[in-house]
Amino acid sequence: MSAALDLSLRDQAAAIAAGDVDAADLLEASLERIEQRNPAINAVVETFPERSREMLAAAPPGPLHGVPVVIKDEWPLPWRAERFGAAELMRPTAPGESGPYRALCDAGAVIVGVGNMHELGAGSTGNVSFYGPCRNPWDTERCPGGSSSGPASSVAARLVAGAVGADGLGSVRFPAAYCGLTGLKPTFGRSAMEGHHLAPVTDLIVSGPLCADAADCRLLGSVLFGEELAAGEASGLRIGVVRDPVSEDVTPEVREACEAAIEALRGETGGEVREVVLPDLEAATLAAILLINAEGLAGTTPERFNHLHPDLSPLARAVLKYRLLLPAPALVQAERLRTLMRRRLADLFEQVDAIAWPTVPAPAPPLDPAMVELPSGAHGADQANVRGAALANLTGIPSISFPVGLSSEGLPLALQLQAAWGRDELLLDAAEAFERASERRWVESKPPLAEAEPTGA
Amino acid sequence: MEASDRSDDFIPAGLASFGIEADEVELAMIGAVHQVFWGPIQGLLALDLGEIEPERNPDLSRAPR
Repeated sequence: MSAALDLSLRDQAAAIAAGDVDAADLLEASLERIEQRNPAINAVVETFPERSREMLAAAPPGPLHGVPVVIKDEWPLPWRAERFGAAELMRPTAPGESGPYRALCDAGAVIVGVGNMHELGAGSTGNVSFYGPCRNPWDTERCPGGSSSGPASSVAARLVAGAVGADGLGSVRFPAAYCGLTGLKPTFGRSAMEGHHLAPVTDLIVSGPLCADAADCRLLGSVLFGEELAAGEASGLRIGVVRDPVSEDVTPEVREACEAAIEALRGETGGEVREVVLPDLEAATLAAILLINAEGLAGTTPERFNHLHPDLSPLARAVLKYRLLLPAPALVQAERLRTLMRRRLADLFEQVDAIAWPTVPAPAPPLDPAMVELPSGAHGADQANVRGAALANLTGIPSISFPVGLSSEGLPLALQLQAAWGRDELLLDAAEAFERASERRWVESKPPLAEAEPTGA
Repeated sequence: MEASDRSDDFIPAGLASFGIEADEVELAMIGAVHQVFWGPIQGLLALDLGEIEPERNPDLSRAPR
């Protein structure tokens, strides 16, 4: 049965629906594989076999009937409060239903485990967590990406074929890139967010799927969106590229892989590539960082900061306290810049269908130190990564990351596409077009950890 | 008056104004965070956005009106 775990999400669902795979056997196989492979990657921080079996027993017919999935530690479950990868959160949490949980239940899916995440969602690397660092199945001494580290690592190691993450400043796209997966950051407001502890205040965070390829993201995304993300053609795709550090200050391997992917995508869709201008990207990145940090202050009082849990990391404690010192004029300016960038993007998306640039400027860095070497010098991975991701969160547009190659060290490389509001489907279409152009070479590449021999029929 | 990035003054005073305690290790870490952000914050503040009227209750699921 473990061989069925290596099927795609959609093929698992189809095999169960056709009676070719027994969902109960698949669930047990997934639990067994977690036992076997998870110690090497620390992707799943908690399983609850009886709860999972109960979910399966109660699962209605649906597009994911009987299919095991992992959900990030950012969402409450009826039997478990989220921990956000941290020793404590700044606001109380409790077990309960979340939007993603309800969507998965209604689709017939079975939550088999909770995925690790970067502490407080505040990192792109996944190497800092209350549960210990999550590791990358492509190289367990490397970062898996964050903050949805566990969901991505789970799928890359084929513990499950799909996982639910969340993206506030790239937290679906970074781990998708580092782990060789496809990850969708939906248009703000399209995917289920109810029950997230910041849902009432956030303008930046969305739930999103992490899967091996775009078709699986379409399936899991449809469940999270509560509507079918219809497949179409990306014919005549007009691709915009910008000459900015986000696309220029990247390693040569990343640059070559992404340029080749853009050209392949242009050829496959019969489209065109245009150079476009999008000023103030660096300031827009900071604006998004300021705003999400301000959102994190909601519902807290200064006094609360004198009683932080001793097991919070030193950096988390520092960032939490620094939030109180953010200058108000900068927050006002950030809102104004958000408006300006949204208007610029609206104009830009009259000229092009998608903007392309590398998801991350370098492949997965070591767990410690999580540094990357770029043409401009050595940088902390967080600082280097966020500049490519924050625009989508600041403005609400959708974005997708998909694998476009492997580095000389055998680590995944990834391209990011961003499109106009509501054009999530186009991004999936475009990712599928690239899969065709590349003969699915990269989406079917598996890390050594996932190439282990199946233990059963 | 010239802008200052003297975090050794600004941070403890700012935290103290809220009644927040921080030991030397924390202050050093907060100072490091400040060093990362302060330059870009000044850059953001220097942008001429006075003519931009922020959207009221922006609907981020759609293009701006």
